[in-house]
Amino acid sequence: MYKICPLLVFFFLLNCTAQDKPELLPIADEVVNYKMEQVVTGISIPWGMVVLPDGTMLVTEKSGTLFHVNNGVKTEVKNIPKVYTRGQGGLLDIVLHPDYEKKGWIYLTFSSEDVSGEGGNTKLIRAKLINGSLTQIQDLYKGTPNTTGPNHFGSRIAFDNEGYLYFSIGERDKKFVNPQDIKIDGGKIYRLHDDGRIPDDNPFVGQVGVKEAIFSYGHRNPQGLVKHPVTGLIWSHEHGPQGGDEINIIKKGANYGWPVITYGINYDGKIISDITEKEGMEQPLHYWLPSIAPCGMAFVTSDRYPDWKGHLLVGAMKFQYLELLKIKDDKVVSRQKIATDIGRLRNVIQGSDGYIYIAVEQKGIFRIIPN
Amino acid sequence: MVFNKFYFWFSPVLLGFFYTSFSSSVSNRWIDNEYSVPIVFQEKANLQQSINRGNDVYVDFCIQCHLANGKGDLINFPPLDGSDWLIKKRKLSIHSVKFGQNGLITVKGKKYNNIMPPLGLSNQEVADVMNYIMNSWSNKQKKMVTVEEVAAVNKL
Repeated sequence: MYKICPLLVFFFLLNCTAQDKPELLPIADEVVNYKMEQVVTGISIPWGMVVLPDGTMLVTEKSGTLFHVNNGVKTEVKNIPKVYTRGQGGLLDIVLHPDYEKKGWIYLTFSSEDVSGEGGNTKLIRAKLINGSLTQIQDLYKGTPNTTGPNHFGSRIAFDNEGYLYFSIGERDKKFVNPQDIKIDGGKIYRLHDDGRIPDDNPFVGQVGVKEAIFSYGHRNPQGLVKHPVTGLIWSHEHGPQGGDEINIIKKGANYGWPVITYGINYDGKIISDITEKEGMEQPLHYWLPSIAPCGMAFVTSDRYPDWKGHLLVGAMKFQYLELLKIKDDKVVSRQKIATDIGRLRNVIQGSDGYIYIAVEQKGIFRIIPN
Repeated sequence: MVFNKFYFWFSPVLLGFFYTSFSSSVSNRWIDNEYSVPIVFQEKANLQQSINRGNDVYVDFCIQCHLANGKGDLINFPPLDGSDWLIKKRKLSIHSVKFGQNGLITVKGKKYNNIMPPLGLSNQEVADVMNYIMNSWSNKQKKMVTVEEVAAVNKL
């Protein structure tokens, strides 16, 4: 008679349960009703971009260059702070002050070796662009401590209707240390005044030892942050591990659960957590299985794209397309591919001219022109 | 009886133990001879230390695309396990880890046209992760990648 070791059975069962996958919304192939117009070429990893009032663009290149693009010609902006380029770190996002034409402030995030300790962490600055050079640079926030971990710096920037600035720092490769602890940076979305001051009504202000700039926590690596055009709320998406990329609406003081709850598993196939929900932790508005590696996020508000208007665009870096998520009552009701096989998409924005712009590795920036 | 119970409960552990100890020791015993033992031992220890450090680098930088089993996704990301490119193009392999990789390559008869961004590794880390990759899964590359070898590879 055979005897089977219970441990073997246990391992077998453990493997079986990992295969279960919830039902997911499929993605539709695209209907091409637009053409791509190249805005600029020769940028190896375009990361952040913004359209200035005069129609020119500022584009960050991850290794540490800021390009000013005018009619397809790019000029390097001078006096860029020293950037720590390792793994996913580098010169990252760029946005304009909501009242840029009057105030002139440009906000930038990058990984920085500032202060002490080997390695780097995410830093937020603001500066003005005068005569092709960054001037009046002001340091607004620097995540601590520095680490040599190469992953999860965040770090998108967005403004809401009240003029608050939000930005993200990823959990810096320390998922079991940073995201659930509000006394440490990393795995958080922060809220500041436009000059870097911490708002008095931030959720954790007054608590001993906490990072008072924190607005929400329990994040992994948010690389999408935008204001919803109607509600004014801040929407975010973040990279999951293998599976479990998420879209969330960011609420004051809320915990988004990483790594206690997740729809993803580790890259080596191991379980990070066997639960996907828990009281006191937010459920995502949407999650992706498998991961698309979401990069950049934009709501379409422009009349140039009647079919896309009111819906959400997200770059799928891993699968090399732009994803259109149609939203109804804060729920994703359909998904569709745009720009199929375009390349590794790093960012998508709607420019102040109403056009959608996408940033693609090695190719540069494209403008989407509807037919 | 006591032994029977022991083997019964720990059979998966023991199987794993026998497998790893047997497979790693047998092949080396044939190659090493008495005269070269001290040097070979030292080299082997150096290589093993480099592989161990390389494991950490792999988990931080490579695993998202090339996966824990080194097989990639066979669409965008080529396999490292059993990669002929890694053996035939040793210098170019080091170059791609040191400076990034861009454009068409053929691995195990299949074409890949994608981008691996520059990783920002030190020469030591490049050597370590190369040694890890070249000695993991089914890969067995005896010639260790050294820091000096990495330092000598210049950007093309």
